[in-house]
This record gives sequence, C-alpha cells and structure tokens, in this order.
Amino acid sequence: MDSSPSASPDPRPVYLPEGDHQRVKILVAGPLGVGKTTAIRTLSQIPTLHTDEVMTDAAAGADDLSFVGLRDKTTTTVAIDFGRLTLPGDRVVLYLYGTPGQRRFLPLWEGIAFGALGALVLVDTRRLDESFEVMDLIEERGLPYAVAVNTFPDSPDYDLEIVRKKLDLAPDTPLVTCDAREMDSSLNSLIALTAHSIASAGVGAS
Amino acid sequence: MSRGQHQRRLLPAYLATGAGSAPLPSTLDTLTALRASGVPLAAYHTPVHRRVVELVSGGSLTAVEIAAYLSLPASVGLMLAEQLVSDGLLKASVPIPDALAPSRAGRPSLQLMEEVLNGLQSLRVA
Repeated sequence: MDSSPSASPDPRPVYLPEGDHQRVKILVAGPLGVGKTTAIRTLSQIPTLHTDEVMTDAAAGADDLSFVGLRDKTTTTVAIDFGRLTLPGDRVVLYLYGTPGQRRFLPLWEGIAFGALGALVLVDTRRLDESFEVMDLIEERGLPYAVAVNTFPDSPDYDLEIVRKKLDLAPDTPLVTCDAREMDSSLNSLIALTAHSIASAGVGAS
Repeated sequence: MSRGQHQRRLLPAYLATGAGSAPLPSTLDTLTALRASGVPLAAYHTPVHRRVVELVSGGSLTAVEIAAYLSLPASVGLMLAEQLVSDGLLKASVPIPDALAPSRAGRPSLQLMEEVLNGLQSLRVA
C-alpha cells in the first residue's frame, strides 16, 4: 500500500478538456491496504493527486477556524486520493475518489458521497470483516455500490458465493473479482457498478 | 512565502484565505471547474489567492485538483475558489448542469450514467 503523498507533485497541471463536459464522481472505498490507490492509479489518466481534509471536533461554523479557536480543538486529517479519467469524446470526465469510509469521519463522508454515481467497494478475502463499516455507511446514504474482490497474489482461494454470503450482499449487488493493477479488470468493476447504478435508478430513489 | 516548490507551505491553511473574510457555506462543489477570468488581483488578495489564479490561467481545473496541486485541504481550496469567483477573478462551471433538480440530490441522470457506461466499455482493450 502506498498512500503516502508523492514527494514532489507534478507542478504542471493537467487541464480539463476545453469543450463542454460533465464531471462525475465515483467513490473507490474500502479499508486501508485493500488496493484503492492501486485501482485509482491504474484507471487515472493523470498522476494521482492527494489532498487532506481537516476536521475539528467542533465541526460547527467557520468561526471556529479562527486562530485562537483552533488551538484547543482536536484536529484530524483524512486523506483523499483521487484520479481522473476522461471518457472518449471528451464529454464526460470521471473522478475516482479513494476513501476509507470510516464512521468517525462521518461529516466528511457526507460531503464526499454527495452526488456520486456510486461506490466501488474493494474487499480482501483475508479480512472481509474490515469492509463492513464502509458498506454500512454507503447503504445508509442510499448510494448504489458494487463489490470487487481484489485478487492479491497470496490471497486464498475464494468462492464468490461464499464471499457474497459472508458480506451479506443483496441479491442484485454486483460482486466481481478484480486485479487492481490491470486496466481492463478495473474497468470491468466500474462497468459493473455503473450498470447497477443505472438499474437501481428510479427504483429506490426518493 | 514561496521559498521553494518542494517545501512545506509556511502559511497555515486556515490563514490562506486572508484575515477578516467571513466565509459563507460553500456553494461550490469539489468538482466545480474553475478558470482565471483575466481580472487582475487586488491589493487585498493573499499570495495563496495569486497561486490559485496562476494555476488556472492556462486552463480549467476542479476545486479539489487546485487544493491538491497547492497542498491545501480540500475545504480551503473550496473557500479560496469561492472568494475568487465572487471577486470576479475566476469563472466557475458546475460539474453536472442539471443535477440540482430537487428529485436528483446531485446524482447523475440516467442519460449521463448511460454515457458513462458506454464510455467505459469503449475503453476496454479486450
């Protein structure tokens, strides 16, 4: 896992396409070390970028960010890694946001999840239970999601039906295997998610 | 302020937006695209404001990308962008023009998601 920020970010920005286009957010969620950054790096057409979000324990108004006010507040930073994928024709630009999705960062999570097409949840068969928290958060937001089992060289053999049962997935939630280092494999996971988002649009939403 | 590209910024993030400004809840999204309008900076703008304007003088970037390039927290990037849009120095364009319809809660439309699906499929090699 290499979620450390790059030492020297490319100072030359990669600009967006000139013409009219829409920008769509997709979350890549899952516990630390599950391969989120790898998947984003595989899919992104720009060097992956990194920013932090700062949270104070008094997540109140902006007045609390005053110099004095900040001193005795606990601050936490949450890393967001993201990449960008422009679809052929330059009419749609996808943003892939990597997020661990932990409940203690709930206020931040609300902002990250807002408006997203859906979430791709990466899981590791050696520690499936670590994915429950983020799946709960996603379900609570009503965000469509698909689950991708990231295949590590040393992962044990797994049976997708057993994984589905252990994760207690709804029958229509897509469950795929994915090698986060491979473009087509990662694309297939996004395709499964997008098809699912389309299928569930209009069914459950407001 | 900028003694070296690779040094950590010397100005705390919460001061980057300048003293005395009263930030409002942001109307910008992290995926709002921004580009310099050509309006010059005023005396009250901070060096960080200048860096934002310079960064998007050659093309458009989203607020979250601006934050990342300038090593600022995303919320500070949004706040800076918001100030500069209201001062007329940046032009903003929303990520999905019709997403603010009440029924949609910011989500992409069916048509847009189908465009995403087709685009992803056409990127596959095999």
